[in-house]
Amino acid sequence: MSGESAAVVGSASGDRLAVLARRALSFFLDWMVWGYVAYCVMYLLNHYWYTVHVDWWGTLTLPSWGWPLVVLATLELAVWCRSLGRSLGQRAIGVAFQDAAGGRITVGRRLGRILLWHISVPLFAVGFWRGWDPWHDRVVGVGLRPISPDPERPGRRALATQWGMVALFLGALTLWVGWLIIGINFQVLARRAAQTRRIWGEMLRPDFRYFTAPDPVFSLRALSYSILDLAVVTVFMALMATILGAVIAFPLSFLGARNVMGFSPPGWAAYGIVRGFFNVFRSIETIIWGSIFAVWVGYGTTLAGILALTVHTVAALGKLYSEQVEGVSPGPLEAVWAAGGSRVQVVRHAVIPQVLPSFWAFTLYRWDINVRMSTVIALVGGGGIGDMLFYYKNQGDWPKVGAVVIVIVAIVWAMDYISGRLRERIA
Amino acid sequence: MVWQPMANPYLVVEHLTKVYERGQVLALRDLSFAVEKGEFLVVIGLSGSGKSTLLRCINRLIEPTSGKIWLDGVDVTRLSQARMRRVRRRIGMIFQQFNLVDRSTAIGNVLTGRLGYLPGWRALLGWFPKEDREKALANLERVGLRDKAYVRVDQLSGGQRQRVGIARALMQDPEVLLADEPVSALDPATSHSIMQYLEQMNRHDGATVIASLHFLSLARRYGTRIIALKDGQLVFDGPPNAIDNAKFKEIYGEDAEEVEVR
Amino acid sequence: MGYPEGYLSERPAWTTGAGIQDALARRAIAARRYLGVFLLDAGALAILWILVSYVYAWYVLGTTAYTLVPWWAFAVGVVEAAAVWGSFGLSLGQRLLGRALGPTQGQEASSGARVRYFLLWHVLVLPGVGFLFDPPLHERVTGLGLRPRGTEGVAPAPWYRTSAGLFVAALLVVTCAAAVGVTVSWSALVRLFRQAGETVDFWRALVSPDTSILLDAGRDMIVTVFMAVLSTLFAVVVAVPLSFFAARNLMRGPLGRSVYTVLRGAMSIIRSIEPIIWAIIFLVWVTALRSAFAGILALWVHSIADLVKLYAERLEAIDQGPIEAITSSGAGRLSVLRYAIIPQIVNPYISFTLYRWDINIRMATVVGLVGGGGIGQRLINYIWGVQYRQAGTVMILIVILVWAIDYLSARLRAKLA
Repeated sequence: MSGESAAVVGSASGDRLAVLARRALSFFLDWMVWGYVAYCVMYLLNHYWYTVHVDWWGTLTLPSWGWPLVVLATLELAVWCRSLGRSLGQRAIGVAFQDAAGGRITVGRRLGRILLWHISVPLFAVGFWRGWDPWHDRVVGVGLRPISPDPERPGRRALATQWGMVALFLGALTLWVGWLIIGINFQVLARRAAQTRRIWGEMLRPDFRYFTAPDPVFSLRALSYSILDLAVVTVFMALMATILGAVIAFPLSFLGARNVMGFSPPGWAAYGIVRGFFNVFRSIETIIWGSIFAVWVGYGTTLAGILALTVHTVAALGKLYSEQVEGVSPGPLEAVWAAGGSRVQVVRHAVIPQVLPSFWAFTLYRWDINVRMSTVIALVGGGGIGDMLFYYKNQGDWPKVGAVVIVIVAIVWAMDYISGRLRERIA
Repeated sequence: MVWQPMANPYLVVEHLTKVYERGQVLALRDLSFAVEKGEFLVVIGLSGSGKSTLLRCINRLIEPTSGKIWLDGVDVTRLSQARMRRVRRRIGMIFQQFNLVDRSTAIGNVLTGRLGYLPGWRALLGWFPKEDREKALANLERVGLRDKAYVRVDQLSGGQRQRVGIARALMQDPEVLLADEPVSALDPATSHSIMQYLEQMNRHDGATVIASLHFLSLARRYGTRIIALKDGQLVFDGPPNAIDNAKFKEIYGEDAEEVEVR
Repeated sequence: MGYPEGYLSERPAWTTGAGIQDALARRAIAARRYLGVFLLDAGALAILWILVSYVYAWYVLGTTAYTLVPWWAFAVGVVEAAAVWGSFGLSLGQRLLGRALGPTQGQEASSGARVRYFLLWHVLVLPGVGFLFDPPLHERVTGLGLRPRGTEGVAPAPWYRTSAGLFVAALLVVTCAAAVGVTVSWSALVRLFRQAGETVDFWRALVSPDTSILLDAGRDMIVTVFMAVLSTLFAVVVAVPLSFFAARNLMRGPLGRSVYTVLRGAMSIIRSIEPIIWAIIFLVWVTALRSAFAGILALWVHSIADLVKLYAERLEAIDQGPIEAITSSGAGRLSVLRYAIIPQIVNPYISFTLYRWDINIRMATVVGLVGGGGIGQRLINYIWGVQYRQAGTVMILIVILVWAIDYLSARLRAKLA
């Protein structure tokens, strides 16, 4: 992958991550080098001790608080290295990782960073130190009291334990790194607020001129559609995908249930294949499937959207179904086995009556999701009302975008309500 | 039955009526009685006869529709929410379903009995004074659960949980203790041990106990006075030994048989 | 954005020549217009009805009440009135609006056609409404089928022997036929099968990974994970306080109830707009074609709405016992919140948050497709750049990532429960 096409394909965030990684590596190297220096100092001290007190047999040992102190001290030195812009580690190796384009940062920002460091990290260190039994206790193995409920000593609060402090530190680190990578910048939002308010205003004064009559400008594949038409198409897309998906997933789900397949080698194989299929196909989002099928059956065709929704529905419903099948009570199965039933008869007379209500509930739930997805699958060429949304958005025709969004909300709401009512009746 | 004025009533209930809005159910109908300080009053009656509603009206967990409740000379039905809270901390309460926070430890639950005495910000931070913590441990000691103080409540048995509930009520130093069917979720042996704690609080700490019970035998054994409710009306008020077979049939219906709890 | 050349160059059929196509198109337009007018009329009648019932209730009963009739009678009445109105060629909605809807091309329907439409409505559509009730309307009217089944020693009739079963079956068949007719075009079907042989290369490319992009793609995957984590964290910060205002059992009184209604309604609207659409809006806001920040904001907004709903539903299901107990000890409202409610909800809240994080990982890949940053952006660029080998690689990476996070979150949630 050449650098030039990476700029096209990749994201700015990825590049920022790379810079951050280089910086972290350089910092770590500094720390290691300072650690080595500290080791040398200790060695020399030891040597000196031995030559002066030669009559006393023994070496200099660090006191119990020494190790954390050395760790902190070397960390401190590495921090100063970074904030002064002199990397001992890079000099020691003789390679520069830092990109020259990064530029030099001002003294003020350096001071700010070092202040931040000294406020945050040592606090965590102290918390870590005081949180639980001190490190020396753990190293020598004494004083390790059980955490189990002890009538004489209340347990510490979750945050005050060493693990709590580690979690807090990791959380803060994640937040900080994420902030840097993503480039979170709330000033942009504020600065652009006025212009955005105009857009919001236009969207909130929706233009329903083409609600029932087709928009002459918006015409796809020699067919004219109004908003209402596309709304109906969207709902029908979801309906088709749900029905098709449920019909395909229903037989497959029994193959993916361990209690039905038994423990023979072919049973295992079928189980593994079907479950693997469910898992792989489920973790690729509907919309990505949409982009694949758009290549296959044509960009912007409704069929592409339906197929994408169907594939994901089969995988998701199949998993839910087969988990339900695995959860049936084994009593009726045993009874049918005992009466000399075949595997098909067991499924027909013992499993299906138990799982049918929850199958319906899952299918309706999936119908909900499909309606939501079918409103946006047009982004990758899947057809439906999203076609209109993205078209108007690209034209910058915000009143019409507003109208389409309102229709989308109405569709999703209505379908949500209907499926909720039906689910209540089934349950 | 007409209420006779007492020499020195501590709690007086006058013409208490409670109507539930939904379904227009009359839970309590014109109920009047009085309790003296230090009494162990047992309220009996069938399920749905209004026992729980009566107890909850006394500390106004349920707002009565009409009528008055005088506690130590104060009409609690007229008090504002803030002053009602002041009164509530003198009234301990024990529940049928224990009403403990399952995810908390026993001592954590017991300490909540002290919340009425704590300033708001302090309660929010969970800074209970050291005396309160010691008192909580002492109360757990008293109900025999000192060694379970730091165990989560959902790992305790039913009887142990009710004892935690009693310790929580003890934290309030209650002058009145309301017990809403404290033993109906427990087995007979445990029931007696719980009732003995209530009796102890009544005798030694001088708390006025008002307990609703299902079983007449328990009521006879522990109560100093019994009142009986039927469909929200008072049908009996008198000493325990005054309930004969005819009275029993009147309270519990013709088909009832008395069951002894040993 | 991604529309191929010539996408909009063809003129629609109804604007070009005459002939059968043109006539069909005009018929379709007319039908559409009637549906639009009908909906408008129904809406206007509904609003009028609500207003009238409000005023009536206010004057006569002295209270504000929403409806004086059950909601289903209201719905049927409004729809029926609109249908009658429409079949006489009058329109309340258009009169109120002050203008005619849509272009005026297409013929007016004759009165005979109107009567036919009216009959069609009463035969086909209206009976379906009854099935939404419990028990269904026809059972209520006829008094049949209200017996509990199977208690009288008589086998219940199979579905094809009951009017309800047949009706539902017919409805399903008609709906499916309509769905196929509306959504599936012949040319697309032909393409699906004819292209099948030609897509072999495409599939082969998808499953032969290009390892040279692994490093870059991995970096984008980390960005995706960070997007999910940050948006979930920010959403939790907002959603936790909001959830208390969105719980019905905590919001009492007129003010509380209205806050509850407004909040729940707003969250419901926000939730029904997919994160992709939010991402588009935020991309416009931050004025960029691609920005992970916009992606995060989109996920954030959607997560807030989703989490508030999940949290509030959990709050509504809490055990009332501890609240009662702590109130009875004389504690204030804040103490009740702190000691009776919060201990009950901490673990479910964490569990919901993990669940939402899991979803956000998936959503972050999707949001990337419109330019929300992360791995999704890379994927869509490969697909639209006809680099299918690379696209396949990225897809495999996404599968692994989603799997891993799914497993992790499920394990953590099982531990919490």
